[in-house]
Amino acid sequence: MLPSLREDYLEAIQQFLEKNAHSPRYAELAVTLGKPESLVCSDMKDLVSSGDVSLLPDGVIALTGKGKQTGESVMKKHETLQCFLSEILGMDTATASDEACTLEHAVSDETIDRLGRLIVKRDGLGQHRWGKHGKGAGISPRAENDHDCECPSISDCDEGENVIIHCIHGRAGAKRLLDLGMVPGEHASIKRKLSDGALVVQIKGCDVALSPEIASAIGVERSS
Amino acid sequence: MKIALLGNPGVGKSLIFNQLTGLGIEVNRYPGTSVCLECGNVCYKKEKIEIIDLPGIYSLDGNSEEELLVRTFLEHGGAEVIVAVLDATKLERNLYLFTQVTEFLPRVITVVNMIDEADRQGLIIDGGELSSLLGVPVLLTAASEGREIDRILPLALGSAKIATLQVPYDHHIEAALKSLEKTLGSPRSKSLLALQGIGEDRMLLDAAGAVAHEIELRHHMSVRQIIATNRHNLSRNIATSVVRRGDRKKTYDLDSLLTRVFPGVPILCAILFFLLLSVFVIGSWMQELIVQTFTTYIIVPFTALELPPLVERIGFSVLIALEAGLGIAFPFIFTFYLGLSLLEDTGYMTRAAFLADRAMHRLGLHGEAIIPMVIGFGCTVPAIMSIRILKTRREQTIAAFLISMVPCSARTVVIAGIVAAFVGIFWAFSIYMIVFILIILTAVMLTRITPGEQFGMIVEMSVLRRPQARLVLAKSWLRIKEFLFIAMPLLIVTSIALGLLQYYGVTEAFEQLVAPITVTLLGLPEYASTALLFGIFRKELAFETLAVLSGTADLGSVMTAGQLYTFAIVSVLFVPCISTIAVLYRQLGARIAIMISVYTVFLGLTIGAIINMLIT
Repeated sequence: MLPSLREDYLEAIQQFLEKNAHSPRYAELAVTLGKPESLVCSDMKDLVSSGDVSLLPDGVIALTGKGKQTGESVMKKHETLQCFLSEILGMDTATASDEACTLEHAVSDETIDRLGRLIVKRDGLGQHRWGKHGKGAGISPRAENDHDCECPSISDCDEGENVIIHCIHGRAGAKRLLDLGMVPGEHASIKRKLSDGALVVQIKGCDVALSPEIASAIGVERSS
Repeated sequence: MKIALLGNPGVGKSLIFNQLTGLGIEVNRYPGTSVCLECGNVCYKKEKIEIIDLPGIYSLDGNSEEELLVRTFLEHGGAEVIVAVLDATKLERNLYLFTQVTEFLPRVITVVNMIDEADRQGLIIDGGELSSLLGVPVLLTAASEGREIDRILPLALGSAKIATLQVPYDHHIEAALKSLEKTLGSPRSKSLLALQGIGEDRMLLDAAGAVAHEIELRHHMSVRQIIATNRHNLSRNIATSVVRRGDRKKTYDLDSLLTRVFPGVPILCAILFFLLLSVFVIGSWMQELIVQTFTTYIIVPFTALELPPLVERIGFSVLIALEAGLGIAFPFIFTFYLGLSLLEDTGYMTRAAFLADRAMHRLGLHGEAIIPMVIGFGCTVPAIMSIRILKTRREQTIAAFLISMVPCSARTVVIAGIVAAFVGIFWAFSIYMIVFILIILTAVMLTRITPGEQFGMIVEMSVLRRPQARLVLAKSWLRIKEFLFIAMPLLIVTSIALGLLQYYGVTEAFEQLVAPITVTLLGLPEYASTALLFGIFRKELAFETLAVLSGTADLGSVMTAGQLYTFAIVSVLFVPCISTIAVLYRQLGARIAIMISVYTVFLGLTIGAIINMLIT
């Protein structure tokens, strides 16, 4: 069996499992893949012998540990590639999905990780789209808690500068900041800065006064 | 029929409310909170309509008391019609709250207020387009000019609709909402809150929590952030399609003066000093006028009746309480509230908070704390109630300690009546200085020992505008009414109790008991301890009782200047009044209330003893 075919099968089974919360039967898998059931049946035998799946009674196909790992990895690659192609390169979703199906078998893990990070960064910058890129793209799960973020904080900027909000660290006050419109991608300008770092920031046409410690938790990008 | 006004802080809700209801406002405390709801009744086409002014909020999924109140209000369908008030100059940000309101599916009309201000800024708003986007009737008003306000009621009663607007959330959130609805039958508004960890239904919270975690892993963003961003995006799209920007008329930006360290800070100090000075001067003048009239026309005729001793005692206590409430507290507190409401209505207080942020950080607080501190110069009780704007327990504790020490208007009476009158005006100010120094020292100590975390200031600067005399008066009247409502019954009851204690000789026994402290430690006459005791009930009573017990209003003839000074400083520092202790207990619990009381007694006695040692 071709490696790409094997990966396609494992990916499909994993996808089915995540979507429907149970492992597929022959017939179900055949419908999902649009292949005749007899062909699926014979291919499964190859997968059993390679140790990727095990067959349960009633024709249920379950992934083994090894099979699951491969399935998940291919799925992630597919999602990241599709997201990259559609959201960043602007291809239409169907074409992007087809293309991702071909690319996913050849691409390395590192490339996927880097692509993932790139997409997250672009997203944070106000594309306001969240594709299906998701899992394990290399950034901690909550931007709010992300202390490793390298963008400058709004308190490093000077009076009169224009910025784009990038992220907000720490949970404290995050809610009120969100309500006042400090969400990633929003444009803001600094109207006043006192020597201790207290700021008046204009955002969404409103002036908001911030203590220095709150300001230092808001990561921004400078804009012109 | 009930109609509720809902909107962001500072959108002119109160002004609209006042114009709809006139001055017949009642203040109802909402059960279980210290947040006030203002209600008023109007008659329209022979139907009684109750109008409710909900507190100004930014969002419905926060956890502040105001947000909680409005949320429960909407959840329980507290009003038949919601009038959503939006600020025309900040339409986009205001629509954010509107998108949340629609999720509770109330019948709504939208009032876009401050259309006059928007005109000045060159913003043109297409009301028809907005109405079709939101799916509810829209009215463009200018409350400050009274424009179109009379159309609010007919529109609210006739054509309020459930909004057709629905926030298109990120597809993962939408999927989660659908599945929560399918599995647990939870409505959209409830599921959205549950995804953000808000609610009481354990099952729903658990289910939502699991999904929320999954979504956060996929998005690298908290669910709150995703939801907020979706709402903001929708608001922006609506705002862009209904607001046209014309030429902005040039206006002078006062903030270039007010928010800079120079001349902002000197202006801030001058304003606060002027506020306190006018309270001091106008208050003393009004007090003298009222007390004199009261004594001549009521107290003197009453004592001339020569009733049986016990009846006379009780009657006298009631009269004294009334005199103190109306003649002493009222002039100072009302004058103060007028000044405070004036300052608030200009929008200056948020500038004060911004400038004070740095100094307040040194005291373990942040800029917003200046508002309760300033209110504390009027009366400690509402000041303590307003510390809920501070977000952590640590800040609330520190603020409560400091506010309990700020010289309120009753203490101003003591300082003015004893020290300024008999010792000298300079010495009166020295008492203020001593108190301020003690406040700073206390704060420095508290910042080191109080557990908990500090939270910074996030304040929206209100727009500077010319205050309206009518609104300032209405606001001050509401506040003084609240004060009289809380304080008056307490004044009368404690006054009678003290009268009886005195009648049965209990106070004399008490004087004997604490004589070592009063006489030896503080160098005061024995009867001063009773006066101080009365001061626990109401600060200014300390001054009056002293006059009664010493048998003359000319205190200078019976006590030395040093004794008067010591007495004044002890009664100013010594234990907050009983109403303060009650409100401390309600806001922060028994432990803090007791700690503050004990600390201030200790402080009062120590400082009194030191001053006594210095002068003898």
